[in-house]
Amino acid sequence: MTSTPPPRPPVRSALRDAAVAAFALWLVLFTAFVRHRNHELADRERARAQAAAAAVAAGEAPLHATSALGVVLPAEPDPRHPFLARRAVVDAAGTRALGGAEAPAADKLLYDAAARFDREGPFVGLLTDGSGRAVAAIATPRGPAIAVTAPPGSPAGLPWLMMIGLLGLGAALVTAGALSGRGALGVGAGLAVLVVPAWMWGGVALAAVAGGVAAAVAVAHGRGATERLAAGLIAHRVALSFLTPAAVAMAVLVLVPFLVGLVIGFYDHQHGTWTFVGLDNFARILSGDGRAFDDPLNFWFILGVTVLWTGANVLFHVVIGTTLALALRQPWLRARGLFRVLLIVPWAIPNYITALIWKGMFQGEYGAINSLLEGVGVGGVSWFSSWATAFAANVATNTWLGFPFMMVVALGALESIPRDLYEAAEVDGASAWQRLTQITLPHLRPALAPAVILGSIWTFNMFNVIYLVSGGKPGGSTDILVTDAYRWAFERGERYGMAAALGTIIFLILLLWTVFGTRVTRRTEEAP
Amino acid sequence: MTAPSPRAGTRRPRPLLMIAVYAALSVATAAVLYPVLLVIKKAFEPGRQFALSASPVPEDVTLEHFRGLLGQRGAGGELAFLQHALASVAVALATTLVGIALACTAAYALSRFRFPGRRTALTTFLVVQMFPASLLMLPLYVLLDQLHLLNSLTGLVLVYSTTAIPFCVWTLKGYFDGLPRELLEAARVDGAGPARIFFTIVLPLARPGIAVTALFSFMTAWNEFIMASTFLTDEGKYTLPVLLQSSVGQFSADWGRFAAGALVTSVPVMVLFYVLQKYLVGGLTAGAVKG
Repeated sequence: MTSTPPPRPPVRSALRDAAVAAFALWLVLFTAFVRHRNHELADRERARAQAAAAAVAAGEAPLHATSALGVVLPAEPDPRHPFLARRAVVDAAGTRALGGAEAPAADKLLYDAAARFDREGPFVGLLTDGSGRAVAAIATPRGPAIAVTAPPGSPAGLPWLMMIGLLGLGAALVTAGALSGRGALGVGAGLAVLVVPAWMWGGVALAAVAGGVAAAVAVAHGRGATERLAAGLIAHRVALSFLTPAAVAMAVLVLVPFLVGLVIGFYDHQHGTWTFVGLDNFARILSGDGRAFDDPLNFWFILGVTVLWTGANVLFHVVIGTTLALALRQPWLRARGLFRVLLIVPWAIPNYITALIWKGMFQGEYGAINSLLEGVGVGGVSWFSSWATAFAANVATNTWLGFPFMMVVALGALESIPRDLYEAAEVDGASAWQRLTQITLPHLRPALAPAVILGSIWTFNMFNVIYLVSGGKPGGSTDILVTDAYRWAFERGERYGMAAALGTIIFLILLLWTVFGTRVTRRTEEAP
Repeated sequence: MTAPSPRAGTRRPRPLLMIAVYAALSVATAAVLYPVLLVIKKAFEPGRQFALSASPVPEDVTLEHFRGLLGQRGAGGELAFLQHALASVAVALATTLVGIALACTAAYALSRFRFPGRRTALTTFLVVQMFPASLLMLPLYVLLDQLHLLNSLTGLVLVYSTTAIPFCVWTLKGYFDGLPRELLEAARVDGAGPARIFFTIVLPLARPGIAVTALFSFMTAWNEFIMASTFLTDEGKYTLPVLLQSSVGQFSADWGRFAAGALVTSVPVMVLFYVLQKYLVGGLTAGAVKG
């Protein structure tokens, strides 16, 4: 269905390329404009507050409207309640006490600003209430002169006239270029006009980006790459339109947060402030944060536990799942349907419920597991006080809830093995063992390989079981990487940067593992 | 153990093998059922403690836990469990609808059409499975906050359905790959457009696969509690997992009520599993083998 499209008129294709690129650039420019406008507004408000405070200090009336102003006198203990600090304010109307039943609400702003002045000295800044007002305090002999600006009017609107003018100019340049036979030059020049607003609103960096985009699109247009891309989009429009809704949803709710998460890894977050720290978080994690290798909080220790955890679980899942699938496939088996239904049950139970049930079973001296052990003559075990038993409890729980998936995959794969293979083998006199190792297992492998990769990713990221069963006990030694990352974010003072850096490392490990795993799978599939 | 053979049914299996097979299946079934029986026991047995003996048979039967669970009142005097159950059902159903709608179309495109970028798209759907939640949660929190979807069930539905999409796409693609090509080709020759083929031929034929995939989407939403407890700040909007998890919190563990809640929560999914189990096997294989 993909025949080569007829050549398009050069003006139309040049205008189309320029329009698409201009649209994308405008989205960026628009964001830059809003940022720029907000900065400008904040600067202006700060300057107004500063000017008003200076006017108060000089005993003059401020030029611009204000919410509150005055010279606030030093705090004095209240005569009746010495633990209360009282302040008075001097403004145009005279001296009055700050606060009280009759006082205007803005008195609070003056009081807070005076307290901040006592701590930090003169300052100017925006109020943090989101009203866009600024506050400034400058020193006078009597006390700080403080001014709070009135809420600013609505911010400046988008410069529509400028946009239309630039787009018109650009379109004219593109058309002129295409008509004179120099389409690439026209597209480049038409897009280059956007460098001006980029420079105005985003500085040199954004201007360089805009220029780069203009040049890249011009080159692509000149070489016919955009034409081919457009032809491809049109030829595959059905497939692409079917794919688009999911792609957009994934981009917005998975890829964008993922990229943001990657960026957060380069920042440090403490007490609500973000600081760019480069690779510090990664260095700190990978160097083990100065801890010994056998310290449960050392990254390499946790990684070891995680790998052990994943390996043990996947091994159990595959071995138990395949064994049970083989058992269920015996042709003479009675009650096959019943066994199968019952064995799938763990999959149907929400895994947080499973985790909590098993936690309950392992809990305490008289938990169900300990009672069972006593029944067979083994003394009770305090499961969560040593690493090995706590780890074993986690693995037992996860094995229980995870093997049905592998069993079902193996059952499906067994069904797809052609029966005549077995017939031929039997005619050739192959023993049961030979049939198992020569036919069944090799045929299982291609179906199990993707399931193993998927299962190992799920287990590597299995938060619920670790968090709910052992909870990392004892002393965080049974934590895996994802639960450790969660603790960085929510239990160790909101260190989001560390959590995100750890998340990035987890992702890279899994990516390497998948690439490696699929390589191996493909090779084994191609080998026979 | 041996693989099946066509004539094995007519032949007598070796007794040792028979014993081994039945023993393996019985042990595994017992291990699977034991914790479930303990929960059923606890749900009907008086008292807040869990599993004080190994026996899965209750000594005394009461409905007090169910009564307590269903009669639990929220801050505003409303029936808390019912309200949270409704919230959970709504979120899970909406997630299933949105997730299936998006995954079906994407899987169809990836299965039936060859276009540049197809491999990349398939790989992307696999790779996003590896994003650890700890990396996504904070940005998602900020994003939902910006969209004014924090503390709303709509926001939760959006997040859940997108996390469910990758797996659904892979499973459904396996199904679509298995549909007879000639049928679709014939429809195309007869002049049916791609949308018509998709809606009138592909979707009805792939109904079992869609049912299984819907089950997975449903479970994603029905079972999730970390994001729900992070994104929902209003206690009245909690989904069931958040409610249940808090019932066995660190300080006041009421295992009786938890067990009753666990039963009520698990039963719908178990029923769905039972109904769909026949397709479960085929569906996963189709997705896994042809991947």
